Amino acid sequence: MSTLSLLPLLPILGALVILLVPAAYSAAWRGIALGMTGVNLLVATTIFFTFHVGIGGYQMVANHAWVPAIGLNYHVGVDGLSVGLLLVGALVSFAATWVSSEIKSHERFFYVLLLVISGGVLGSLISLDLFFLYFFNELALVPTFLMIGIWGRGADRSAIAFQITLYLSLGALVALVGLIGLYALSGANTLDVVTLAAWLKTHPLPASTQTVLFGLLLFGFGTLVGLWPFHSWAPAGYAAAPTATAMMHAGILKKVGAFALLRAAFPLLPEGVAQWTRILAILCLGNILYCGWVAMRQRNLNLLFGNSSLAHMGFVFLGLASVSLIGITGAVLIMVAHALLASLEYALSGHIYRETGHLELDRMGGLMRRMPFIGAALVAAMLAGCGVPGFASFAGELAVMFGVWPTLPAFVVAAAFGGLLIGGIYMLRGIRQVAHGPDVGTTGGDVPCWTGRIPYLVLLVPLILFGVAPYVLVDRIRPSAALVVERALLKPSPAAPAAPAVAAAPAH
Amino acid sequence: MEPTHLPATNFQDLAWAILLLPLVSALAITLGLRRNRELTTTLSLSAVGIGFGLSVWLFFLYGVSGERLAATPLSWMSVGSLSAHLGLTVDPLSTLMLMVVTGVSFLVHVYSTGYMEDDPEYPRYFASLGFFTFSMLGIVLSDNFVQTFIFWELVGVSSYLLVGFWYEKPAAADAAKKAFLTNRIGDFGFLLGILIVWAATGTVSFDAMAAKLKAEPGILGAAASLAGVLIFLGAVGKSAQLPLHVWLPDAMEGPTPVSALIHAATMVAAGVYMLCRVYFLLDLPAAWPAALSFLGSISALDVIAWTGALTSLVAGVIAIQQDDIKRILAYSTLSQLGYMVMAVGCGGPDAAMFHLTTHACFKALLFLGAGAVIYACHHEQNIWKMGGLAKRMPVTFWTFLLATAALCGLPVLSSGFYSKDAIFAAALASNRPVLFGIGVLVVGLTTLYMSRLVIIAFLGESRSEAASHAADPGRNMTLPLLILAVPSVSLGWLPVGAYFKSAIFPGAVTHSAEGFSDVFFEPFNHSPLGAFLGFGLMAFGLSVAFATYWGAAMDPMPGHLPRLSRALRNRLYFDEIYAATLIPLHDAVAALADWVDRWIVQGLFVRGISGGMDLFGRALRLVQTGNLQTYAFLFVAGVALVVLLALK
Repeated sequence: MSTLSLLPLLPILGALVILLVPAAYSAAWRGIALGMTGVNLLVATTIFFTFHVGIGGYQMVANHAWVPAIGLNYHVGVDGLSVGLLLVGALVSFAATWVSSEIKSHERFFYVLLLVISGGVLGSLISLDLFFLYFFNELALVPTFLMIGIWGRGADRSAIAFQITLYLSLGALVALVGLIGLYALSGANTLDVVTLAAWLKTHPLPASTQTVLFGLLLFGFGTLVGLWPFHSWAPAGYAAAPTATAMMHAGILKKVGAFALLRAAFPLLPEGVAQWTRILAILCLGNILYCGWVAMRQRNLNLLFGNSSLAHMGFVFLGLASVSLIGITGAVLIMVAHALLASLEYALSGHIYRETGHLELDRMGGLMRRMPFIGAALVAAMLAGCGVPGFASFAGELAVMFGVWPTLPAFVVAAAFGGLLIGGIYMLRGIRQVAHGPDVGTTGGDVPCWTGRIPYLVLLVPLILFGVAPYVLVDRIRPSAALVVERALLKPSPAAPAAPAVAAAPAH
Repeated sequence: MEPTHLPATNFQDLAWAILLLPLVSALAITLGLRRNRELTTTLSLSAVGIGFGLSVWLFFLYGVSGERLAATPLSWMSVGSLSAHLGLTVDPLSTLMLMVVTGVSFLVHVYSTGYMEDDPEYPRYFASLGFFTFSMLGIVLSDNFVQTFIFWELVGVSSYLLVGFWYEKPAAADAAKKAFLTNRIGDFGFLLGILIVWAATGTVSFDAMAAKLKAEPGILGAAASLAGVLIFLGAVGKSAQLPLHVWLPDAMEGPTPVSALIHAATMVAAGVYMLCRVYFLLDLPAAWPAALSFLGSISALDVIAWTGALTSLVAGVIAIQQDDIKRILAYSTLSQLGYMVMAVGCGGPDAAMFHLTTHACFKALLFLGAGAVIYACHHEQNIWKMGGLAKRMPVTFWTFLLATAALCGLPVLSSGFYSKDAIFAAALASNRPVLFGIGVLVVGLTTLYMSRLVIIAFLGESRSEAASHAADPGRNMTLPLLILAVPSVSLGWLPVGAYFKSAIFPGAVTHSAEGFSDVFFEPFNHSPLGAFLGFGLMAFGLSVAFATYWGAAMDPMPGHLPRLSRALRNRLYFDEIYAATLIPLHDAVAALADWVDRWIVQGLFVRGISGGMDLFGRALRLVQTGNLQTYAFLFVAGVALVVLLALK
């Protein structure tokens, strides 16, 4: 068994154990969850540092036929696209578990669901069979809906839970249709990306089919990431979610959609890439500009974070749309950085909400004085959120702008405007309102002791380290991104053996 | 000239140490020493002090001999044709600038031990100061555009932290935010300029870029002037040029020593330094893309020169009617930065650097002197509530006076005379008589507002209770004043101008003023017109100031010229115009987006879909399901479909 399989296995095992521990030992639930995510963090760190830098293909591969009749394999592996996400996925899981001490009702169920999300996300990131990738992603999505409904904030949390469920289910469904189409029309009789890639190289799908399938995957998976205009579930959903859920979803689960596009849509459907990237570039300006402007108007800290996080996803999509080595490397870099950043933001806002009972900007001020640690971490996170160097997100956004410039310069002008100016305006106005100015509050305090700082530090420190030395990530991402670009730009060779006939048959 | 790549010799260690020492001290203070004031003081003072010592060493080892060295770079990020690293360039330009930055920073550190003595957040102050020094040194030592941009932004962040040091004070928090955002507008252009030159030359390294440009002068094609102007936009933000100058006067809300460091000698000088560093990109014949072809033969340097000249003039005029001692100095800084930028535009980056160096000394001295006055008058900043300080604060007064003389360009006895003269000479040499005229006119304005300040604040009788009890501050605050007074007077007697000429134009035949006496009388040979006109206008400004303000109880100008005075006191309404146009316009766009999001995307769209889904859900509820089950059903249905298709 590959070490990789531990990543989804341990949390899910932990969830099962928690279910078995009787209520008399309820204190153990949290301990088990922390232990499992902690061990998982060690596993992910080991994987990150034993990963062979400079290799584009999959490493630590395990491949077992599962249902041979339908070509279903338990096929797992890690490459440059996933290795960083696995590490931050484990980090975010650990931090999210740590801050969940705020949960006071149905704790057992909460930690079970949290571990299921963690296992699901990590499972989808290691899957090389798209069926498993999809399955694990769904496994992680369902608990988020339940958690918003049960432990969420605000009177309308059921309505919001319903909205996010609908949105993401529809998105997932559209993506599923795309995957089924890929399965059925390719003739490869599998959703294993390695086999599928080799097969499609010699038996490419007709351009029109590729275009349709790519569109389905783009909008399906895109919705899961919050691609404009299918974005409005995100800010409201995160604002209503309990802290840990918002951290997991905004931090890492959301990235799976973009990751799936890089795994499936871009390398497998080059004709679709050619047709859709222009549209994708236009839509991502919706994220960067429009969601940025919306963020400027928010009067609730979590809605501000939610919209700014959509703007960051716009940079990911812009990087993808460039179909260039620099752009896609930058996009993956942002995904990793933003996982840390978004979960840090929600962890901090969670503390503030717990202490003060609200997140209304107009009723906040002078937090730096009353909560020196949380305030300083918040200022750091918000500066990272408006693209300040020294944080990993800057490196990613810079790379995206460089990568996109040669092909789509006008889009870079808009993106730079959004990132440097709009982002700067809402984040600095936010800091001014929340952390600076006279202290207006009367209740609430800082984290009580140094152990309380751990969940924030395990997110903030890597965010800075990867910002100071982004090459640690970039050197890992680059070879795999190069493979994606190579395949995404592949023109079908005219001498391809009778493939269109095979592939086209089911289409008509 | 290609830089010599040497194996790890001591210059690398020196340069790395200079760069990293302030960072190490800032980190140590932030992480562990927050409660220990003595250790904080020792650590941050020695970090910058050693840095200054090493800079002097580096200067005499390599700078004066004109060597150009590049340290083995550290990797930052390398992907495709984007190869960005952390490199250090040690050449005549950077070594002298290192001395200026570390020198002024060290004196400001020393001074701050007195000025900030009673502040409860003393350690945070020194940590921020150290972080700022590190960021600034990163720009000075940078050998490529990406690194410059990184440290450029970090300078913005650290100035944000310093201006907003007293963040509980709304005015300080607002000023910090304004400074950062206004700078961001410039950075927006700067980044686009970097992208243009990177795309054209395939590199971000200054040396490689210069070599490419030398081999193929037309490599930037029709984007040459646009790239130059966009890069200049970065300097417009950092060096507070028109129309982005509005942040600097507000930034005076920060502690006064901070203003001496970042708003006189370093941060605002970074823009000018960067322009000189990449002068080879600005000095290109006019070429515009088709959409901008109406700009015709206007070159990037023309834009730069005129921006600088107008800033210099406008800021000089506004300064005449300011009453806050720091704001007068802030507008004066704008005006002098305008000079430097104008010099770059007139093809005299060496003159710009010369003036940058002298200005760093005398303006830091002026700010520190103002700080001493404010400190002595119990945080009173209005000059009309001072008066008579000359007798009570002799050290502060005399050093302030020497710096004022340097700022006004008093012939021979001040460094400013020499550096300003170099600028006038550059304007004449580039055949821009109008700019020369503006430059000389501003000498008169400078003398007018500075004499006004000195007469009202230092001479005459005390105008307030606080001023009548004022006294010179302690030695840790007066010593930096005395030390800075030396270069403020004498720097012009050294061949600094010639040094920068060979630093920026290596190998060029320079009109050389070698010996001391040559340098001493250089301006009179160099551009006698500038020297004499300047002197005449200075005398004129001085007499106007004395005639108007000697013994005046209040400013007579609002009475005589009410409209002009009001316009000047309102800083020519720049802030009001922005507050009435650009800011609400952008906010309106945001409001529109928010409205669309609330009522169209979420309202109609989502509710429409959810309405439809509701119907669907109701149908499903017939078979007893809730939301989750609906979802599970859809999922299972999908899986079933896969199996079905597979088995078909």
